[in-house]
Amino acid sequence: MLQKASKIGHSSHVVTLDVRPQLLDALSALRDRVAAARFPLPLAGAPRARANRDELLAQLDDYLVPRLRQPEAPLLVVIGGSTGAGKSTLVNSLVGRRVSEAGVLRPTTRTPVLVCHPEDHHWFSGMRVLPDLTRVWVPQQDAGDDLLLPGEDGTRVLRIETADTLPHGLALLDAPDVDSLVADNRVLAAELLCAADIWVMVTTAARYADAVPWHLLRTAKEHDATLVTVLDRVPHQVVSEVSRQYGALLAKAGLGDVPRFTVPELPESAWGGGLLPATAVAPLRAWLIQQVQDPGARQRAMARTAYGVLDSLKSRMPELASAAAAQYAAALRLTAAVDGAYDSEHARVRGRLQAGAVLAGDALKRWRSYPLDCTAAELLDALAESLAALLLCAVTAADERIDEAWRREPAADTPGLTDRDPTLESAEHRIGMAVRRWRRVIEEYAEEEVRQLEKSVAPDPEVVAALVATALLGGRRARSAGEGLAERIGARGALRLRDKGGRLLTDYLDRTLHAERERRLAPLDALDVRPEPQAELIAALSVLQKER
Amino acid sequence: MTAVTAVTDHTDQADHPGDDEGREDGEHARVEDDSVSAHESAHKEESEFAHRDSVHNEEDDSGHARVETGKDPQEPDSAEATNATNATNATETSSASETSDASEASEASDATNSSDSESAWDDGLIARRVSATTEGQARPVKEAVVENRPPVVTPLAYDGPLRSRLDALRELVGLSRTRLDSRTLAEAGRVLDEAVARRRLSGQHTVVAIAGATGSGKSQLFNALAGVAISETGVRRPTTAAPIACSWSDGAATLIDRLGIPGRLRRRPLQSPEAEAQLRGLVLVDLPDHDSAAVQHREQVDRILALVDAVIWVVDPEKYADAVLHERYLRPMAGHAEVTFVVLNQVDRLPGEAAHQVLDDLRRLLDEDGIALGEYGEPGATVLALSALTGDGIAELREVLGHFVAERGAAARRISADVDAAAVRLWPVYANRRQAGLSEEARDEFADRLADAVGATAAGEAAERAWRRNANRACGTPWLRLWRWCQDRREPPTGRLAVRAHADEEATARQRVEQAVRTVAEQAAGGLPAPWAQAVREAAVRGAQGLSEALDQLAVRAGTPVGRPPRPGWWPVAVLAQASMTILQVIGGLWLLGQVIGFMSPNLGVPALLMVIGIVGGPGVEWACKLAVRGPARRYGLEAERRLREAASGCGRARVLDPVAAELLRYREVREQYLRVTGIGASAG
Repeated sequence: MLQKASKIGHSSHVVTLDVRPQLLDALSALRDRVAAARFPLPLAGAPRARANRDELLAQLDDYLVPRLRQPEAPLLVVIGGSTGAGKSTLVNSLVGRRVSEAGVLRPTTRTPVLVCHPEDHHWFSGMRVLPDLTRVWVPQQDAGDDLLLPGEDGTRVLRIETADTLPHGLALLDAPDVDSLVADNRVLAAELLCAADIWVMVTTAARYADAVPWHLLRTAKEHDATLVTVLDRVPHQVVSEVSRQYGALLAKAGLGDVPRFTVPELPESAWGGGLLPATAVAPLRAWLIQQVQDPGARQRAMARTAYGVLDSLKSRMPELASAAAAQYAAALRLTAAVDGAYDSEHARVRGRLQAGAVLAGDALKRWRSYPLDCTAAELLDALAESLAALLLCAVTAADERIDEAWRREPAADTPGLTDRDPTLESAEHRIGMAVRRWRRVIEEYAEEEVRQLEKSVAPDPEVVAALVATALLGGRRARSAGEGLAERIGARGALRLRDKGGRLLTDYLDRTLHAERERRLAPLDALDVRPEPQAELIAALSVLQKER
Repeated sequence: MTAVTAVTDHTDQADHPGDDEGREDGEHARVEDDSVSAHESAHKEESEFAHRDSVHNEEDDSGHARVETGKDPQEPDSAEATNATNATNATETSSASETSDASEASEASDATNSSDSESAWDDGLIARRVSATTEGQARPVKEAVVENRPPVVTPLAYDGPLRSRLDALRELVGLSRTRLDSRTLAEAGRVLDEAVARRRLSGQHTVVAIAGATGSGKSQLFNALAGVAISETGVRRPTTAAPIACSWSDGAATLIDRLGIPGRLRRRPLQSPEAEAQLRGLVLVDLPDHDSAAVQHREQVDRILALVDAVIWVVDPEKYADAVLHERYLRPMAGHAEVTFVVLNQVDRLPGEAAHQVLDDLRRLLDEDGIALGEYGEPGATVLALSALTGDGIAELREVLGHFVAERGAAARRISADVDAAAVRLWPVYANRRQAGLSEEARDEFADRLADAVGATAAGEAAERAWRRNANRACGTPWLRLWRWCQDRREPPTGRLAVRAHADEEATARQRVEQAVRTVAEQAAGGLPAPWAQAVREAAVRGAQGLSEALDQLAVRAGTPVGRPPRPGWWPVAVLAQASMTILQVIGGLWLLGQVIGFMSPNLGVPALLMVIGIVGGPGVEWACKLAVRGPARRYGLEAERRLREAASGCGRARVLDPVAAELLRYREVREQYLRVTGIGASAG
């Protein structure tokens, strides 16, 4: 869509906008992909990725898509810079009346102000650009002390002013300071800058070596935006020297061809919130008007910024994609830790079961005294309890292992993953339920088996159940239980019952451990970290590249 | 685009426009300042001062602190001056002999210091002063200051509470080394090292740094305080690239050495008696900016800010709300409010009322940063408005600084604030959320779980039932016994026969032991900070190794009843009664039989009565015995259970609970030290 036109002096790409609908489609698809990307795990790069995503989204919504849709819309010039650089004074002076309050207290501008020609009002009154900001129609009339108070209750607003002194097709936006102490202001300033066709960077004689504005300038260069710098508040004695040094710094940073304007510090205007004399800002004003009114220049300025943003996608999308991939990798690592812990515990439990670990302690004592001093019901109770203890032990051991593994994972710091409520009690409850259910089924099996026998020789089904449970859980030390079972219900019946019971036991064991594992993974699954976003982001980018 | 939002996070990618620029540009900046231009050009001044300073360095280093009597009207007479020389010698040799082993060397240095100086100062009057000084090390510094001592390099002395806090911190670091990683302790270690290093150096001097953003007028203020244009000022940003020190009195050489400021950057202020008197003991350091794109400036600022006693933050109306200043410096140093000055420079650029507004706004911002403001006589940061250009407010700052320096408490207060900050940073690794320790319930629960694991309850019940069975069998009617015996022969011998076979089997439920240990460790570790909770858990797990095997052996030993089960005293009587009932039956039966076969005279009544008594009395006795045996059987069973339970819990206590309790005790000890560090706990002993 951006074709090279005839070169006109400027070293930048001299291009015009020519938008095809396919490009817009690709762009909005890409926008949706970006909007869908989530970075919920607190990895090292996640906050940055989140910020990048928000910024990219804001830039797509606020600037690129509306600009490509409607190239005829007025140029938006955003005035940005450090706190106290005199942005509001500059805007007021360019407009020729007080539209944005200026003052000595920092940060002064908390509500961004957009100024445009009355006939351009409709371009900005709708939600075409900056859809996140609520429009304020009525300018605050109560000039004075109230202006110094913090802005509205948390909702982000954009105040729109009209002035006939501005030419058609030009809108000025007075942004909050980029290095504000108020964090919201910083975010808002960044977002506003993203929406600009022309960036105006304001710095001062005292600040031109500050680190923060230089970052902005570098970013502007990265995006290849149409950029102007204004060196404000320069005491008249040192104008030439400061200006020269600033120029040298810009040249060194590779921004030597950026138009540079110098505004002297004038006593009558500097701190009073008044207006600078028209002569002080005349060069800047003339340059801006030229950008708007000369179709070639307008096209160039607009195309350069749009082209720059599209170009910047080439590096920004892969960055987002790699962050998404890192998220997925971290989620995989977390899941693998859970799976590993439960798998090894599962194996351990099976081993212990085969070794007859359940028939120990209380259960063993019961079994030893079984026919004489202990009833079958008591033996079954003891066995069930012992089995529940074994399972609970496995589950807590697995949880402990997971905690240990997750402690080394920065991603596990997500709220809800590690600081879960002490679920041990409920795990005990759930396992107890499962074991009781298993016991009931075993008893039913025993009854079934006994019913097939003749009435006269049929033993008590409870005894059969207790014996089969002992044989299943007692390993080799319960051999005599198997023998007793065979004596009572016959060898084939005993074998059948033991088979069924064994299958049931394995089934319940798997099910219980699986349920606990799922429960442990549930918060992670709820975060819904999938591998797709990475591929989707890259795919959307490549479609966009093809359409250009 | 992140660069736009991430304001404070720009260390990594900043390249440095401007700093090379500054150097290659040969011409010196013209100074517009009236007061400065009255003096000679900065260049000449610099060379002259450099020369004078090098002379000073030589004097200090060689130990002959020649007192410049001509320049200082308040200098003491020559006798004291020579003493001073000796003392300087002594201190310097002692400090030179100190090794790098910081923690122990400091104590040693104190001792050598005092003994050396005692030998050097042995005339009567001054000896008393020496003892006063050594006492003064124990007492607050302020008292030592009241005596107007000659300007010798006297090491700094911390007051009692601070010393005890430092000792506690040292102890804390030592105790925690095995539990915490060195990164966590690094900050505390640094504070200790700095405290030791600062203590060796002059206590007569207060090092004050002037810090601020580029273009705020740090150098201007520095020059205004010094009275001469020492530091180069200019419009090129950033102007000052390296820190410059200016000392108002002698003996600060080692202090400035510590800051790493080379000799060529040390200056003396304009010599004027009243300024000298007011600011005696002040060492002023002009820092580079902290916010320009030149990264090494910021590194230098960060390094020096950690070493100075106090800081004057210079802000200007344009930059006073910069996020960098507040978020990176003022907020983290909020605890250092007492050694912080915040100066709003360039008020001459503000029209009338605006200066007050800005100053109020600055106060509000500082308040939001958490910095206590020293208003209404409360301790806290001093906030002033001044103009270094016009000299407006300089006198006030000078006066405040004069008082501040004369107090000579800044160094100690700074160290104290450092200790506070270190303590706050260590809070998460030492503070417990709730009462830590093993409650009685937790111990009982652990014993119960172990008893379950060895099967104490079941064993007790089994013992009780076996005893009752035996008793019933002993006291039962012989016919019943006969019938049971027959039935026993018919029944298949399940269970009880095979079990005896394996004596070495795993009789203890391993899973229950594991769970018991885990639960008790979890309970003991609950509320502890993570590293200590981990230590407790590890202690429990270590103790639990081999616990199951020990319980196995123990169950074999304690589970088998000792000797034959005890019999109650009435047992023979019951057996006799049962026997006599049987005999009565037999007699009655035989009698009846005799009558039937005609061997005896027929008398139905008596033998029938005898038989009935025998038949009814047998089960009657048995029933009575059953009732009577219930109590002893229960006692016997409980006794068996108790024996097993106690053995198990004793084993568990020795192997698990004691190590855990020891670990908890260690934590409690450390926590006590920590409380002492924070100053809440027991005061100096």
